[in-house]
Amino acid sequence: MKIDEFNNAIKSKITGAYELKEDSDSYGNSNAWVILENKRDVEVVAKAIKAYKGRCVVATAYKNEKENTHTVVYHFDINGTIVNMQLVTDNQSVHSITPILKSADWAEREMREMYDIEVLGHPCSDRLFLDYSLVKGVLNEYISLSKMQTGLSDTDVLWSKINKGAES
Amino acid sequence: MSEIIPKVFRINTGSCNGCDVEFVATAFVDKFHIESLGVELVEDVKDSNLLVITGPLTAKSEPFLKKYLNQMKKPFVVVGVGTCSVSCGIFRDSYAINGPLDKFVEVDVNVAGCPPRPQSIAEGIAKGVKVLNQKMHGEVTPKKIDTIFQDFSAPQTFRGKMALHEGMCTGCRTCETVCPSTAIKISKTDDGFTHNIWHNSCCYCGNCAYFCPTGAIHSTNNFDTAKLSNHKYTDINIAHIEYETCTKCQEKFMPPSRGLLGKAYVHDDVNKLNAKICPSCRKEANFKRMYA
Amino acid sequence: MSEKITIGPFNPELEESVYFKLVVDENRVVEEVELINGFIHRGMESLATKKNFMQNLILTERVCSLCSNNHPFTYSLAVEKIAGVEVPLRGEALRVIADEVKRVASDLFNLSMLTHLAHRHDLMKETLEIREYMQDLKETIWGNRMDMSVNILTGTKYNLNDEKVTFILKTLNEAEPRIKALQKAYQNDAVFKDKTVGVGILPYEDALEIGVTGPVARGSGVNNDVRVKAPYSLYALRPSLQPKVTTYEEGDVYARAMVRFGDIIEAIRIIRDVVADLPEGDTYLEKRPHIPAGEAVVRTEAPRGELIYYLKTDGSQKPVRMRWKVPTYSNWEALKVMIKGDKVDNVTMILNSIDPCISCTER
Repeated sequence: MKIDEFNNAIKSKITGAYELKEDSDSYGNSNAWVILENKRDVEVVAKAIKAYKGRCVVATAYKNEKENTHTVVYHFDINGTIVNMQLVTDNQSVHSITPILKSADWAEREMREMYDIEVLGHPCSDRLFLDYSLVKGVLNEYISLSKMQTGLSDTDVLWSKINKGAES
Repeated sequence: MSEIIPKVFRINTGSCNGCDVEFVATAFVDKFHIESLGVELVEDVKDSNLLVITGPLTAKSEPFLKKYLNQMKKPFVVVGVGTCSVSCGIFRDSYAINGPLDKFVEVDVNVAGCPPRPQSIAEGIAKGVKVLNQKMHGEVTPKKIDTIFQDFSAPQTFRGKMALHEGMCTGCRTCETVCPSTAIKISKTDDGFTHNIWHNSCCYCGNCAYFCPTGAIHSTNNFDTAKLSNHKYTDINIAHIEYETCTKCQEKFMPPSRGLLGKAYVHDDVNKLNAKICPSCRKEANFKRMYA
Repeated sequence: MSEKITIGPFNPELEESVYFKLVVDENRVVEEVELINGFIHRGMESLATKKNFMQNLILTERVCSLCSNNHPFTYSLAVEKIAGVEVPLRGEALRVIADEVKRVASDLFNLSMLTHLAHRHDLMKETLEIREYMQDLKETIWGNRMDMSVNILTGTKYNLNDEKVTFILKTLNEAEPRIKALQKAYQNDAVFKDKTVGVGILPYEDALEIGVTGPVARGSGVNNDVRVKAPYSLYALRPSLQPKVTTYEEGDVYARAMVRFGDIIEAIRIIRDVVADLPEGDTYLEKRPHIPAGEAVVRTEAPRGELIYYLKTDGSQKPVRMRWKVPTYSNWEALKVMIKGDKVDNVTMILNSIDPCISCTER
C-alpha cells in the first residue's frame, strides 16, 4: 500500500488539519503517521483502514506535560504496512472506533482503565484486566499507592528483614 | 508410619508461565523421576494436600486463592515454585501485585529460580512430601531437610546462584544498577562495603555478571534453591569488600580491582603494581618523581 | 434446559489462570461465552517506566517465558531504531538462531498440551520428550531452559564457536526425524483426529475481521507472518531465510496444530541455513548507544504471531512509555467464535489451540 493512496482516501473527508509523515527502519519497513488536529477525525481514518482490509493492532496513550492532556496513538496494519494515528485529548475522552474496527475493542477498553480516558460509544463498559480493587488510571501515576502511604516499598520491607536476619 | 499419598494441585497466581510450563515438564518427562515420589495430580483442589503455587500473586488472583485455600482440608503443604512466589522477584512494587504468597498462606518450601530447573522443582516437591508426612503424623517440621535427589549436576554454562570474587569487586554498583529485580544491595560500612545477593529475589538472568566491569560477580551452576521457608531471608551471598589503609597517610581507600589491573597491565605482575598507597598519596609521589 | 458452567480460574487443564462463564444447552453445546481476564495482569507497563534500559532487557523477557526471546528482541529493535544503531551482521544472525530455537520449543510445548487435552497420553509424552532436545540445547548454549538472556542493545550477549555450532547441528539432526515421525503419528491417529478435525472452527472472514495473527491466522487461510510481510533483522537482509509458511483453509484445531508442525520444520531449516553461513565479526557494538528522545513502532513474528512494540523515550535512562501488543491479544476474541456452538468438553482444548499466552496478553 502506498501512503499517497491512503492519503487520497482520507483527505476529502477529514474535517480538521492533519499532518502525514513517513519513516522507515533500517530494514526498509515503512511506517506512516497521521497526526490529527480534530480528534473526531478518528472515524474517517478508521473507515479508510477498514476499506483497505486493515486491522487495528493496538492503541497507546501517554500523559503530556500540559495539565490534563493525553496523547493517544492508534497503530493499524494494512497488509504489512503500519499506519499510526496520533491525536491529543484535553478532556480524557476519545470517540471509539470499535464500532468500525472490531479489532480495536480491547485496546480501547485498556485505555479506559489504564489511563482513565473515556472511550465514547464503546460497546462494552466492563473492565478488561484491571482488578476492581484498583482505581482506574493506574498508568497516570508514577509512584505506587502503598509507597505513597507508608513511604516504604515492598523491596524496602523485604530487605530490612534480610538485614535483621544477617545481624542476629 | 502409614503411607500418605501426596495429591498435588497447581495454582498460578500470575506467573509468566515459565514455572508452570516447567512444572508440566517435571511431571511428565521421565528423566526427572517425579514418579519415585508417588505423587498424584488431582483435578479438584478439595482432594489436594500439596499445593504448588507459582506467580507473584496479582490483585485479581488474591480473592480466588483465598477461596481455594478455604476449600482445603488441613493439614496441607504449600510449595512455592519460582522466585516470584517467594519474593515477587522482578514484579515487586507493581500496583497490581499483592504478594508475596506468605502474606496469605503459610508456605513450607520455597523453590527460587527463574524458572527453576525441573530438578529443583522435583526437589521442592520431594521436600514438600516429607513435610506433609510429618504434618500428617503431628510432628514438628525440622529446621533443615537434606537433599533428597542425589543428581544435582548442571552444565557448566547453566546460570545458577550468583557469587562474588571479593578481591575483584570495588563496590562500583554497576550490578545493583542493572539488576532488574533488586536482588543486590551494596551498603557502606566503616571498613568498606558489604555486597549482598539475595538468591530468593534473583531472576538468574546474568545481567550483573555481563555488565560487571571487573569480572567480580559471576554465576555458578549451583541450583540448590529448594529450601524450607525458614531459609527465606538467609539464603544470601554476603561478601565484604574492605578498604585498605594507606601505608603513607594511614587514610582508608578502596584499592583498585585486581581484575581491572589484570586487563590493563597484561605483561606485569599485578600484585607488585598494587602498592598499598591511596590515590592522593600516589598522585603526590608521581608529581614529585616527575617535577621535583 | 440451559445450564451455567464455570471453568477456572485455577484448573489443571489451564496452564494459566482464566475464568470461563459458559451457558450450555441440554446437549452440552455452548450457547454463550463470557471470558474473565486479568489474573495474570502484573502492571508491567508501569514497571517498564521505572526500570532503566538495561533492566528492561530482562523485564521484557519475563513478560512470558514461552516467547521470552521475542520480547527483548523486539524491545531492542525499538531502542535501536530510536538510537539509529545498526546491529552487526553476526549479532542479527545470532538473534535469529535463538528466536527460531524458541519457536520450536514453544510450538512443541503447545502440541504436547493439545494431545494431553485430547487424552492421547503417549503422543503427549513423545512430544514433551522431543521438546527436551530444545531444552537441553537452550540450557547448554544460553544457560537457562526458558529465559535465554540473549539480547543486549546493539546485538547479543552470547557468541557461537565451532563446538557449539556442532552441538546445535547434532541436536537438530537427532530431533528432526523424530519431529517428522511425530507429525505422521498425529496425522494417522484416529482418536486425535476425531477430537480435533472440525472442532473450534474460525472461518476466514472472522479471522480477517478480528485481526488474528500467527498460526491461528494461518490455520484459517490468512497469512500475515511478519517475517514475510514486513521482514526484519536477518529475515530482511537475507530474504532466502523467510519461512515458506504453511496455511490451511479449514480453520479448526487440527489445522492450527499442523500449521505449528510446518513452523517447526521451517524453523529448523532456518537455523541450519543461518549456522551454515554465519557472518564473521562482532556480536554487538562496543560503544553503548546513546538513546535520544524519540518514538518507534517495531514488530517481529513470535511463535504465536505478531508482536509489536511501541516505545517513547525522552533522552533519560528510562522509557516514558512502552506498550506492547502480543499475538494472543488479537487472537483471544476469536475464541468466542470458535467455542460457540461447540461442545463444552472441547472448551479447554479449543482454548489451547490458539496457543494462548495469557501472561503476554495481560502483562
